[in-house]
Amino acid sequence: MPSVEVSHITKTFGPVKAVDDLSFQVEHGEIFGLLGPNGAGKTTAIRVILDIFKPDQGQVSVLGGPMVEAKKNRIGYMPEERGLYQDIPLERCLVYLGSLKGLSPDQVRQQVGEYLERFDLTAHRNSKVKELSKGMQQKAQIIATLLHRPELVVIDEPFTGLDPVNTRMAKDLLQDLRAGGVTIMMSTHQMHQVEELCDRILLIHHGRALLYGDLESIRRRYSGHAVLVRAGGNQPHAASLDAVPGVEKAEAQNASVKLFLASDTSPQEVLHNLLARNVILERFEIATPTLDEIFIRVVQDEGVQSA
Amino acid sequence: MHKFWRVSAYEYQRHVLRSRFLFVLLSVPGLILVMAVVGLLISQAHQSDRPLGYVDHSGLLASPLPAPELDSSNRRVPLLPFQTEAEAQTALQSKEIQAYYVLPQDYRQTGHADLVFIESPSSDAEQEFADFLRVNLMSGQPEPVAQRLIRGDNLTVSTPDGSRSMSQNDWFNIFTPFVTGLAFIIAIFTTSGYLLQAVVEEKENRTIEILLTSVSFFQMMGGKIIGIIGVGLTQIIVWISVAVIGVLIGRNYFELLRAVHISPGFIGLMLAVMLPSFVLIAALMAAVGATVTEAREGQQVTGLFTLPVMIPYWFSFQIMSNPNGPLAVALSYFPLTAPVAVTMRAGFTYLAPGEILLSVGILSLSALGALWLAGRALRLGLLSYGQRVNLRELVGRSK
Repeated sequence: MPSVEVSHITKTFGPVKAVDDLSFQVEHGEIFGLLGPNGAGKTTAIRVILDIFKPDQGQVSVLGGPMVEAKKNRIGYMPEERGLYQDIPLERCLVYLGSLKGLSPDQVRQQVGEYLERFDLTAHRNSKVKELSKGMQQKAQIIATLLHRPELVVIDEPFTGLDPVNTRMAKDLLQDLRAGGVTIMMSTHQMHQVEELCDRILLIHHGRALLYGDLESIRRRYSGHAVLVRAGGNQPHAASLDAVPGVEKAEAQNASVKLFLASDTSPQEVLHNLLARNVILERFEIATPTLDEIFIRVVQDEGVQSA
Repeated sequence: MHKFWRVSAYEYQRHVLRSRFLFVLLSVPGLILVMAVVGLLISQAHQSDRPLGYVDHSGLLASPLPAPELDSSNRRVPLLPFQTEAEAQTALQSKEIQAYYVLPQDYRQTGHADLVFIESPSSDAEQEFADFLRVNLMSGQPEPVAQRLIRGDNLTVSTPDGSRSMSQNDWFNIFTPFVTGLAFIIAIFTTSGYLLQAVVEEKENRTIEILLTSVSFFQMMGGKIIGIIGVGLTQIIVWISVAVIGVLIGRNYFELLRAVHISPGFIGLMLAVMLPSFVLIAALMAAVGATVTEAREGQQVTGLFTLPVMIPYWFSFQIMSNPNGPLAVALSYFPLTAPVAVTMRAGFTYLAPGEILLSVGILSLSALGALWLAGRALRLGLLSYGQRVNLRELVGRSK
């Protein structure tokens, strides 16, 4: 059973259609990436899922049914910007937010203590939130989101402001949660994080779904018909590789060469031809585009079509 | 309900533990204390222990009866007879006496006496001499008649059911509802102002989204309003406690304060009127906070509530002179003017239970309406980040 099921939702603000007939599912125990350029409708979609906004049309099912008050204790939400009381001590803020998720006073204090320790914030427990650095506040937000051990975590830009060490820690935490069966829905612009963490993605633009599905399938779909080759030793340049049978064009790409294949040529045939020419291969792989490239290509294509 | 009370408790602590709350809490009693001390010092400076002299040409005070015992809080001024005005004048010049009276020969016929002074004597001294004269003028009368005339008149007005009465000597009690109502209004507006600011801040920093994914709209707004009412009541309880302590101490020194009393009925009336008013104004403030983008902008809008609430004070003369007139009654039934109008009228007239019930009923319904409006404003405010919600959207069709 999916943790989140969104079916044909539409949400309009005045003349602007922020979300337009959007449908997708977030499966139990996966990390799902919600991607899109600024103003694409990601945050609106999240707010509709969390029942902060009511959709104009469409249905949302969360944790097996409509959103009801009792389910709020099973969900953790971290908005993109701040979201913490600024002028009270960190520990008091976390204890209060945790207590609103149904934790008893003892449970919440214990959990807060453990998380502060884990995120290296124990020394700042009595500092006001506004006195903490941006990175520390981000960590505090993550703690507030996870304190009550939610089954579904919805996070908007979780890595903003974190240094590499803390980014790693947050990623490990998300992966641990996934391993523990927690469903994570993550909205972010950082494509390399999505590539590293997400099982499936949804790319939206102008409130509509452009790409949806398994990350690997999507990358393969956009891979084109090309291979990446790096030759060892005194090996031929890109210019000479486009003479290999079945290769239409060769393009240098960092230390490698990207070979665009003729439509009737398979990568195996090109590999055979390269070996036949005694090219010493250090790398030979199907060229798959980065998510960044797919993102830009899809959004630009959409722009062209809209125009 | 569990989360509702957690929101209330947090909201209460959040404001009560702030230094600005302590400042407001202590500033009002502090100001009253300073005013009382200054008044006392001025009064003391005007007091004099020096005797008051008199020259009696009328023979009334040849063998005088002593003046009646004065209130222990007022110092007794010795009365010193002089044979001639020259002797009295010498004593006055040498500051042995603070002033002297001259009773001419025809005093009994004219009732006219002269007071000679360099600096005017204290009112207590004048009052004491007046009592002294009165006792001696009455010396030939039978004792009960003399006593009755000396005590003078004291008109007491009572309600038909006898539950309340008011006499001209305890006029201070007339102003008790006036002052208590004002204290309530100050507390309501200061604490509701905190709520407005809190809602605007939570909207600005998105904490409100975290809250709404943890509690319902009702739990959040209701909890906040109850918390704020707790803050306001704390403020009022502290102020009233300070006032009660002040009166208890002051009544040892001032006759006026000895007559002060507050009936349980009045306390009940205050609570019945002020609690729904508190909910009404706090909810309206929360609604404003949810619809504006900055706290400062919200504070400007709140003038729409503060002005109507203060209207009964503008018409206080009309309400005092005709507490059952159409204006006073109408103001008692309009939700925003009712809290002040009802408490003010309670000082000057008898309010029938039905009248109070109707006023409290209208207030309570308005408070519920304001709560609904606050919840709706919050939802619309969330939909319009960075934009003001206009009135048409607020009362229009649900989104």
